[in-house]
Amino acid sequence: MSTLAERLRDVMRPGEPHPPSPPASARQAGLAPHANDAAETLGGEWCEVAGHRFLVVDRTYAPGHRHGRVSVADSLPPSDGAWETLGLLAAGPVPAGRLLFVDLETTGLAGGAGTCAFLVGCGWFDGGTFRIRQFFLSSYAGERALLEAVAVIAGEAGAVVTYNGKTFDLPLVETRFLFNRMTTPFAGMPHIDMLHPARRLWRSDDEDPDRAQGSCRLTMLEETQLGHTREGDVPGCEIPGRYFHYVRTGDARPLDAVLEHNRLDILALAMITARAAQMLDEGAAAAKTAREAIGLGRLYERAGRTADAREAYGRAASMTPAEPLTRAEALRSFALLARRDRQYEDAAAAWCRLLEVRRCPSHMAREATEALAVHHEHRLRDLATARRFALESLQFDASRARTAAVHHRLARLDRKLGGPPQESAVLF
Amino acid sequence: MLPARRTDPAHDIALQSVLDRLTGGVPDRPDSPDAWVTAIRRLPARAAEYAPFPDALDSRLRDVLIGRGVEQLYTHQAAAIEHVIARRNVVITTPTASGKTLCYNAPVLNAILRDPSTRALYLFPTKALAQDQLAELHALSGQLSTQDELEIGVFTYDGDTPQDARRAIRGRAHVVLSNPDMIHSGILPHHPRWAKLFENLRYVVIDELHAYRGVFGSHLTNVLRRLRRVCQHYGSDPTFICSSATIANPRELAEALVERPFELVSESGAPRGEKFFLFVNPPVVNKELGIRRSYLAETRRVAAEFLKRRLQIIVFAQSRLSTEILTTYLKDDFDGPPGTVDQVRGYRGGYLPQRRREIEKGLREGTVRAVVSTSALELGIDIGALDVCVMAGYPGTIASTWQRAGRAGRRSSRSAAVLVASSAPLDQFVVRNPAYFFDAPPEHALINPDNLHILVDHVKCAAFELPFTTSEQYGKQNVQEVLGVLAESGFVHNADGEEGTWQWTNESYPADAVSLRSISSDNFVVVDTTRGADVIGETSFTSGPATLHEKAIYLIEGALYQVDRLDFEGRKAYVTQIDCDYYTDAITYTKVTVLDTFANHDRRSHGEVHVSSRVVGFKKIKFYTNENIGSGELDLPEQQMHTTAYWLTVSKTVMTALPYASDDRRDGVVGLSFAMRQVAQLLLMCDRQDIGISIGSGEQGEETDLTRMGQPVTLSDEPRIFIYDNYPGGIGFSEPLFRMHADLLGRTRELIAGCECAHGCPTCVGPVGNTGPLAKLVALRILDLIVGEAVAA
Repeated sequence: MSTLAERLRDVMRPGEPHPPSPPASARQAGLAPHANDAAETLGGEWCEVAGHRFLVVDRTYAPGHRHGRVSVADSLPPSDGAWETLGLLAAGPVPAGRLLFVDLETTGLAGGAGTCAFLVGCGWFDGGTFRIRQFFLSSYAGERALLEAVAVIAGEAGAVVTYNGKTFDLPLVETRFLFNRMTTPFAGMPHIDMLHPARRLWRSDDEDPDRAQGSCRLTMLEETQLGHTREGDVPGCEIPGRYFHYVRTGDARPLDAVLEHNRLDILALAMITARAAQMLDEGAAAAKTAREAIGLGRLYERAGRTADAREAYGRAASMTPAEPLTRAEALRSFALLARRDRQYEDAAAAWCRLLEVRRCPSHMAREATEALAVHHEHRLRDLATARRFALESLQFDASRARTAAVHHRLARLDRKLGGPPQESAVLF
Repeated sequence: MLPARRTDPAHDIALQSVLDRLTGGVPDRPDSPDAWVTAIRRLPARAAEYAPFPDALDSRLRDVLIGRGVEQLYTHQAAAIEHVIARRNVVITTPTASGKTLCYNAPVLNAILRDPSTRALYLFPTKALAQDQLAELHALSGQLSTQDELEIGVFTYDGDTPQDARRAIRGRAHVVLSNPDMIHSGILPHHPRWAKLFENLRYVVIDELHAYRGVFGSHLTNVLRRLRRVCQHYGSDPTFICSSATIANPRELAEALVERPFELVSESGAPRGEKFFLFVNPPVVNKELGIRRSYLAETRRVAAEFLKRRLQIIVFAQSRLSTEILTTYLKDDFDGPPGTVDQVRGYRGGYLPQRRREIEKGLREGTVRAVVSTSALELGIDIGALDVCVMAGYPGTIASTWQRAGRAGRRSSRSAAVLVASSAPLDQFVVRNPAYFFDAPPEHALINPDNLHILVDHVKCAAFELPFTTSEQYGKQNVQEVLGVLAESGFVHNADGEEGTWQWTNESYPADAVSLRSISSDNFVVVDTTRGADVIGETSFTSGPATLHEKAIYLIEGALYQVDRLDFEGRKAYVTQIDCDYYTDAITYTKVTVLDTFANHDRRSHGEVHVSSRVVGFKKIKFYTNENIGSGELDLPEQQMHTTAYWLTVSKTVMTALPYASDDRRDGVVGLSFAMRQVAQLLLMCDRQDIGISIGSGEQGEETDLTRMGQPVTLSDEPRIFIYDNYPGGIGFSEPLFRMHADLLGRTRELIAGCECAHGCPTCVGPVGNTGPLAKLVALRILDLIVGEAVAA
């Protein structure tokens, strides 16, 4: 009869020849050559709490340090604290205090109790420099001590900044705190997840699948906004494997690139955040492209700063060169906002300009003609023009209900105009 | 705890007159296996037995119960509540509608009233049951909440729970109603988010315990092992409250599933009206082939008798298709003109929830006079108590037959249950041996949580949830060795040597790869290419080749499909709908090799075996007549597995003592094994595909073929009949079969001897075409000789 281990191997890897199981001592021995040099390999220092240790890796980036076109000095917040418009990014007020940029490297993407953050990277502006402190989990036993250290640094911050942290990083780190039955320092702390404002400002309209709508990876922003292209970066999918290799063998060398990847992510995140905040502080004039200007408008509009928003949309509409679609979108946003603010003349002017845009998308043109029909009927009382716009709106495809509403309007206009429907109008 | 309905003499008279008609006016007579009605049993009325509220019960809860008409408790309720309050695990087995839910709702709500931090987890085998219980619990907790400041949160948490509601539920639920699948893949792997629940988990309620047998039960034990590990991490140690239908071993099953000692409460104190139980066997129309009149037509006739006299009935059918057919029949007979209220309704999975609620309400209020249902209404859904239950076909187990029969039964007036047998072997055995059903102890529910395939999967999940320590135990196998093998594949890593822990070192989320309802998640999907490419069904990996080979006829809900192509590697079968009058039966070579004999006694054994099987061909069988109208050859990959088996060795003495030609002797052994399989299924409370059968020679398991015809398969001097667990690793059927050997042979003899066919039929030793004309005779002879041999020894 076969042993339990043999039967188990049969269950797990049916049909494969059974490897002789190495004696336990040999498995342990594999650790020896590298066991103690993670600190040296990764350039950090051990931190020991109650017999459990973890590694702390500190780096400081001088004001002159450049990441692509941008230097640390370019990204510094105003000397008297943070950017005043940060609240626009966080969708809520952000108190004064240190901004903590956080990024995790984890043992998987699945989440749940068995997914760990083996690296917690934190960055912050300090004087004129940018500092990064990485907490590296060298063995699982050190997790509690590591999290305590993270809690201390988080406790000193006024807000936390992440990239996609709302759905990934913060829930995951929160789970680790809960797993260790500790209270999570991030609960209730203002959180800026830069993914969402970045999508508004810099989402690419390209057909390129890598930059398809909605895709807005940090490395892409790093290239387009900061002018930095990474070379030899670790692909994300390799990261857990490199950590497991270290756990099993003690060989930390493949992790050096992982720590560098994490640092670059944090540095890029800080610079991207600075760029967004600076633009918001400066207003519409800071926008370099029409797309950026629309994004600014959206952020202002969401925060209730409609004057700034209108200015941004107006700038977007007049910037050249602008794609027809972008231009149309800017004019439409402007018109809607103006109408909401009861600036009907401004709105009408924008709708008119929208109709002049070459290859204006038909759904927008229909919306514009309908709005202009309403404007002429009810505000200007120019029934003939209203009728012309209403008829014009019928040439675009629309839902049955909308078309019916236009016909209803036409009938009413005809009644008001007092004549029977003109032949030509019916034909048109 | 519904207020007792008034006794209605007219109703009793109506019922009596139908019974008189069906039984010829003989209310209680000896069993008569050859008659149309083979058995009539009268179950006398029983008065309620009450007990006072236990002192420990909070007065607020008592007041609410009294307000709802529960003035006193039944004895079994009081007993169960006292056990739970004293923190003893308890399993309750009392009939349907005996107020079982109060046995767990009362102590749980009581504990929440005393200490609002208390949490409880309820497990139901299906989502529908959880929804049904939610309504009842809401009513009770709502009344408690309005009386008091305390807000008692009761929520279901399953695959249908919206994402945005989940966080609120985790924080606010005192009672979480869920199912084992959700605990397994949605709650345990995320236990840190459920810390509040696990820290304060005082009670775990497992309803419908008997549903957890075989593979599902073996998985559940492991889910509960994981649950207890997590509880221990958070410092809680919950009490388990289980309820079960009547099975032979409720306490044993509870203890096997939960791995804790249990108290049993089985004496019901609920009142019961007088009840009649009838077995009906449709008459034989073709004696040669053993064909009976359609049991659906027979069910229609029986149901009509009750309906004509304005009695409210429930009809249980075995499949969705027969449910629809019977609904149509009864609607034709009884529904009024269009526009009037539907008095006859169908009910099955696949109906929209709103429609189901409407039917349930109609039943409770009496506007629906008849409902035809699949097993969907067998479990606890509240439809009130009806007058009559008619079952079209034997539900498969004694336990579930009683459950269904329990759907009819007023507290104070008469009720009846009628079982109409189909021509399936199990049905025929049961109706012709009524004593087996009424007098023998019910089936045993069996599980094998330490099946290595199941165990390995759950050790992975457990390691993901919490690291194992190097001294930790889990289940009955040496888990450290399991972890060692998992480490070889990189799933875990022993971090700190001897006194350390095993860390999960894998990117995956292991629970996603494990389905609690099967052993391996590998399966074949059936793609209908008649119009486009729709997936219409799936089949487990093991049964795929036999049912989805090329040219096979695949049946689903009465529709016929033919397999055009089987993509074995891609695990897909492409089918098109056709119209034909035959089905196919695969010819499988199965070879069983004994690897290890665990026990051996009087020519019966059980142990570990290697089973290799290959589908080599198929036969075309005509519907209704079961004539063989053609065949084909196939070449499919061999399937192999290690599993456990019971086997019977027919000794050389017995074989040589048979005064028949060698072909006839072979037919006798083949026929005997065919019949043994039916009985084994009955004794094991399992499904047909749960066990396999093979005949081997004395030495090393020669290949055998039970269904091939025409070609002589010579048997060795000492053939062996193997009945093996049809799951890799075995699911625990073999050892019980070994123990029940005498019962197995005795009942097999009853089945064969009691069959009215001349030379064998699908009900006993298999259809005549498969085995020779003497199969029945020789099989009986072999049984007698084996018994004689055992007596002599």
